Amino acid sequence: MNKLLKWTLMIGAVGLFAWGCASKEQPETDPSPKTEADAPVDSTLNLEALIADTLSADSLARLEAERLEAERARLEELINQVMLDDVYFDYDRSELTENAKRLLAQVAEILVNENRFVVIIEGHTDARGTEDYNISLGARRSMAVREFLIAYGVDGKRLVPVSFGKERPKVLGADEAAYSKNRRAHFRVIIE
Amino acid sequence: MVMALMLAGPTFAAIDTIAVDVGISVFKTMPIGIVPFEEESAIKWPSEAPHKILTRDANLSGRFEAVPSDRFDLVLFSKKRARQYVTGSASKLSNGKIKLDCYLYAAETKDVLLGESYTVKPYEVRQAVHSFFDKVVYRLFGERGVASTKLAYVSKIEGVKQVVISDYDGFSRKQITRDSSINMMPVWQKGNKGLVYVNFRNNRPSLYSIAFGGKETPIFTQFSQTFSPAVNPKTGELLFAVTDEGKTELYRGDMKKGTAQKFLHLKSNQVSPSWSPYASEVLFTSDRGGSPQVYAVGKDGTDVRRITYMGHYNERASWSPEGDRIVYTSMDDGKMNIYTCALDGTDIVQLTSNAGNNEHPSWSPDGKLIAFASDRGGNYQIYIMRKDGSGVTRITNGTENTSPTWSWYFDEKKKK
Repeated sequence: MNKLLKWTLMIGAVGLFAWGCASKEQPETDPSPKTEADAPVDSTLNLEALIADTLSADSLARLEAERLEAERARLEELINQVMLDDVYFDYDRSELTENAKRLLAQVAEILVNENRFVVIIEGHTDARGTEDYNISLGARRSMAVREFLIAYGVDGKRLVPVSFGKERPKVLGADEAAYSKNRRAHFRVIIE
Repeated sequence: MVMALMLAGPTFAAIDTIAVDVGISVFKTMPIGIVPFEEESAIKWPSEAPHKILTRDANLSGRFEAVPSDRFDLVLFSKKRARQYVTGSASKLSNGKIKLDCYLYAAETKDVLLGESYTVKPYEVRQAVHSFFDKVVYRLFGERGVASTKLAYVSKIEGVKQVVISDYDGFSRKQITRDSSINMMPVWQKGNKGLVYVNFRNNRPSLYSIAFGGKETPIFTQFSQTFSPAVNPKTGELLFAVTDEGKTELYRGDMKKGTAQKFLHLKSNQVSPSWSPYASEVLFTSDRGGSPQVYAVGKDGTDVRRITYMGHYNERASWSPEGDRIVYTSMDDGKMNIYTCALDGTDIVQLTSNAGNNEHPSWSPDGKLIAFASDRGGNYQIYIMRKDGSGVTRITNGTENTSPTWSWYFDEKKKK
């Protein structure tokens, strides 16, 4: 569990990190420039060869980086799709509305095809009611979402329900406009 | 409190039955004279002078009505029916300590009914005066007062909910948690040795235990989501809520061993346990009837009975230390208010109304007072009222303060 959570924090950095490694490692694994430059003869020729060599290595690295970048962008796009929209609930209810089911079907499609994703399903409530009851209500909401996704074919092991009760409102305010935005299930994606 | 008494005058005639309205005191309070201490040389008090502390203690106690006077004034005291008064003398010692001689006198005869002496560091003056006040309560009522007790509550510090403790009157505040996630639901361990609370550092609600001056430890880590702690007043064992597979149920656990068993075997969700004063029964909230309602059950988990029927949202009940009533939060039209009722659910009394949201009631150990959180002043702060809803007094200020939980009695400290 802890490990998973650590991954969550790193999620934004995953792609960048991989890209950084690819470009940084290149000069280190190629020790030639300094030793070759010490040789007195035909230095210009060697230098040209060297430049050509480095260029091709560079372009390889660039290609690899671009590939990683594309993959990262694709995953990010998917993750964004999953995390973009929240599932909203009626007051003091944990049953899924028709709108909620439509959204969840889209999310389920992504998750069925991308089995590296582990999804934290956060259940939230609006500000009304006690802290205690709202944690149990949030738990029921996260569970309703989880059960729907499992029924759709997503592996339950990759769906982690948690409840935040009324502790993390998305919108501040004491009116229905704010309440309706806060009665939600929110997704966070981590990559295994 | 003055307002409450003034209200009581004209309104009582109109009321036949005791359908208690908000803010009308059904308490009989005892007037008590309070005279400033004599100071050998002027003392710079770190917070307030002793007579100010005593005045606040008297008015908060639910037992007294302070009759302050600059000097002993028998005419005033007799007019106000103050048959006793408190005062004393204070002197600064060469080692920086302050010597307090505190007395309770019979007003008419000037007989000393109680005399206590304290030699304390300046920052311990409040504690000493509170301790004297509790002795006054004991001398006049034969019961323990709560002036030496404390509150734990949640305070938003730099945007983060942190657990803090303070004296029952809001003074001498100390921050207990310093974690950057969410800290909430503090309750006192048996003997006031530390707190149990909920923390979200692992992005889920989990119970932690902290000993004062010690380290915080996660407890009952065999469960992924735990909250709603309630300490058994006799054994110290913990009832708490566990969420698993979307269902929330009560467990009882031994904090030292870390073991826990399911407390109730019900199909419905359960939260907010509260022990009866002698730990023979437990109150809890269940949604088994379709909405959150308060239920009672024996300590062995059998004989469940429903207590609240009125309204669609009755939650977080807590059993009076006197044993005869429960206090709970009820929500109507999106507003939360505090009610008490008898153990069979009858004789419902609304303690708060028309003043924002009022929630999270917690009894004082003597059962005379209720601490609660209210946003009546714009943002959430902690208030104390008498058990009949009168004498509402705010005891915190600043950024949001919520979820007060009253300590147990502290063991009598040795007098220095």
